[in-house]
Amino acid sequence: MPVPSSGLTFSSDGKTATLQVSDVPIIDQPRWPAMDAESTSAFLDFKLVFTAADEPIKYEDPVRQYRFEGFKATAQLEATVRVPSIDFTFKTDPLETSKSDFGVMGTEVNGRYYGS
Amino acid sequence: MARDYVSRMGLDRRRWLKLSVTSFVAASLPGALLRAQSSSQACSPPIPQNREPSNGGVCPYPIPWLDKNGNHNQAAMPNVELSSIYHFKGRLARCSGFHGMGTDNKGNRLAWGTPTTDYSYMAGEYWSARQPHQGIFAHT
Repeated sequence: MPVPSSGLTFSSDGKTATLQVSDVPIIDQPRWPAMDAESTSAFLDFKLVFTAADEPIKYEDPVRQYRFEGFKATAQLEATVRVPSIDFTFKTDPLETSKSDFGVMGTEVNGRYYGS
Repeated sequence: MARDYVSRMGLDRRRWLKLSVTSFVAASLPGALLRAQSSSQACSPPIPQNREPSNGGVCPYPIPWLDKNGNHNQAAMPNVELSSIYHFKGRLARCSGFHGMGTDNKGNRLAWGTPTTDYSYMAGEYWSARQPHQGIFAHT
């Protein structure tokens, strides 16, 4: 999904990133992954905040030609989902109340840029 | 492919929200608050005119060994390719396994999040159509 530059912002020290997007077109597909699972149009607004921790990490695979270098991070999310056709709306609790099990933040090179 | 869901308390079905993130176009959209663009033909390979060369479309290139399985990413975890774009260099963050609570429009309190509730951003340079492009993308 493309994001305009205003949708991704960083703190001055680069340790916090905020991704904020509205009206993302999605589908509601309750019976996924059934082959005949029907889907309906839905929309998502979300705000996602990454905060880098102090633990450095590096993931690299020369065979698959990728290298990620950065830090472990916390991530928190708040979102609103709308499914207009069934008049369904869901809003998460505030950002601060969410948590994620895995998060990383850094830089990556892969493919033709791997050797650089 | 990505998915997210909200499990509805009191109901025995799960509401999967499969996000339309399989298309990417260059991100240079104006506006203070973004409005995400849906799948577009803007980056599809153009049909050359007047015997011009064909260098493919400007869509970011998917991760080859993931795309062959019909996916464009894999679950976020240590020591895996975290990008959804191949031939990419830039800033990237990825997270998964969200837990949280929320409320629907009928006042029901619902849990949300699964191990595959997975988000990322990729901001930087990618290579397609035989030239570099700048873009910001999100995976949801």
